Amino acid sequence: MRPNSSVSRNRWGFPDLGIGVGLRTVHYSHILENRPEVDFFEVLSENYMDTGGRPLWVLDQIAEAYPVVLHGVSMSIGSADPLDRHHLGKLKALAARTKALWVSDHLCWTGVAGRNTHDLLPMPLTEEALSHVIGRVKTVSDILERPLILENASTYAEFAASSMPEWEFFARLMDEADCGMLLDVNNVYVSSFNHGFDPKEYLDAIPPDRVAQYHLAGHTHKGTHIIDTHNDHVIEPVWDLYRHALARTGNAATLLEWDADIPAFEVVHGEALKARAHRREEAPVAAAAS
Amino acid sequence: MQAVITHPGPLEEAIEAPSARAELDPARIASVILPSKSLTAAERVGVYHGMYLLRMIEALEGDFSAVAHFLGNDAFADLVTRYVQVHPSVSYTFNVLGNDFPDFIRASKGLRRRGFAADLARLELAVTAAFDAPESPAWPAEEIARMPESAWESAVFEPIAAFRVLEFAYPVNAYLQSVKDDVHEHPEPARTPSFVAVYRKNYEIWRLDLSRPAYRFLNALAEGRPFGKAVADAARAHQGNPGDQLFRWMRDWVAEGMFQSVRIAP
Repeated sequence: MRPNSSVSRNRWGFPDLGIGVGLRTVHYSHILENRPEVDFFEVLSENYMDTGGRPLWVLDQIAEAYPVVLHGVSMSIGSADPLDRHHLGKLKALAARTKALWVSDHLCWTGVAGRNTHDLLPMPLTEEALSHVIGRVKTVSDILERPLILENASTYAEFAASSMPEWEFFARLMDEADCGMLLDVNNVYVSSFNHGFDPKEYLDAIPPDRVAQYHLAGHTHKGTHIIDTHNDHVIEPVWDLYRHALARTGNAATLLEWDADIPAFEVVHGEALKARAHRREEAPVAAAAS
Repeated sequence: MQAVITHPGPLEEAIEAPSARAELDPARIASVILPSKSLTAAERVGVYHGMYLLRMIEALEGDFSAVAHFLGNDAFADLVTRYVQVHPSVSYTFNVLGNDFPDFIRASKGLRRRGFAADLARLELAVTAAFDAPESPAWPAEEIARMPESAWESAVFEPIAAFRVLEFAYPVNAYLQSVKDDVHEHPEPARTPSFVAVYRKNYEIWRLDLSRPAYRFLNALAEGRPFGKAVADAARAHQGNPGDQLFRWMRDWVAEGMFQSVRIAP
């Protein structure tokens, strides 16, 4: 059940896999029993690195039947701590096992001094931090033997020491470390509200040929700030940003994240499939099917 | 920033804590974190601070749902809050965060029924370990009939990786089951020894109550005691010949897939 994928405009020729869904435990039985027509699944890397039980057994079946991409939350690429080579080794093995088309994580740090807060903490956007992350991304890419794809995280705080906006940091990082971007449109929206910038300025500054994948999600508006909770439908302004981004990059693999108050698989998949209309509307497939 | 985020107290207390002060004078926080139009610098760090403990509690609640049920939400949250100060996550995965939780509970003076809660946590940890253990094919039950009679004496049975056998001071397996049941009819958490084998079969976790003799026999085998010596030990404990019973247990355990191989010692 591997759907046809199309070549998208990114520089690595990563295919436009279509519309995907995040693989979540509560949906295992539904997927295995019904084999829904999903273009691809995104797998949370850390959930499968240290288990030999049912999760890995399910993943093997999913990876056999669907295209799979890996998405991590613990690489801590921005941390001052040394890279965790044990983690990277397991990540590489998992990517090989699942034949993952690409491997992504977040531009963030998750902890220092050996601790892991399991949160995606904001980077100081400085020349020093940029230089630090460039070196680490190159190391990771060498270890994984593939370009690293990094997602923009939702952030709730900004450092006074930052000397450039996040979009400039990202663009320079991708250019100098030769990595790609998982462009989370909802995160751009969330951070733009929290920090008061124009989200379209962010999107317009991202080199289109570096975007390998999109994320969409719902969030929670707290009045004074927005939290990236992945617990609801995608709001219209985020769809608008998605259309805006696609107009620059062409269609690329797009995934809906729903991680809290997770509804039935059909609801999650149905929300994801809304992206199809937006893709057809403004950004026809860039190249012929492979 | 990390010192504030991971502090167990309210945000104001976290910012003033010695661990945070060592990094930054609270009066200077706005010189490091920018305020937004609607939040102060401290409130923006507070967004992360507020989520940290919730994430830890949620992670451990997933692995120790019966302990959480037994203690109640507030007591469980309080326990986890204290636990992660001593045993913070130092791994890329949450899988190992709860490894010290049973011992921490046992040492938590003032915690209601901590002996019972610690045993319950130990059982839930064993379930998690069996859930995540590598898959190892079970030794086929039909092989029992093919074993030469002479081989049994020195046979050493290796359990599958997803196998644990445990002794408790309380009836925690019955309690765990009562939490899983639709109607919770909890056993009295009184001191009563209990014995359980936890194992994975066809990617599902099974918990088998054992009698004390069965536990001793299975535990001896799992620790690598040759079958003949384990039988002799059991016979001494019984002051008789429990041979038939032991072979029935053995047949059942093999049929359940608890062992992956047999080594015949020379």
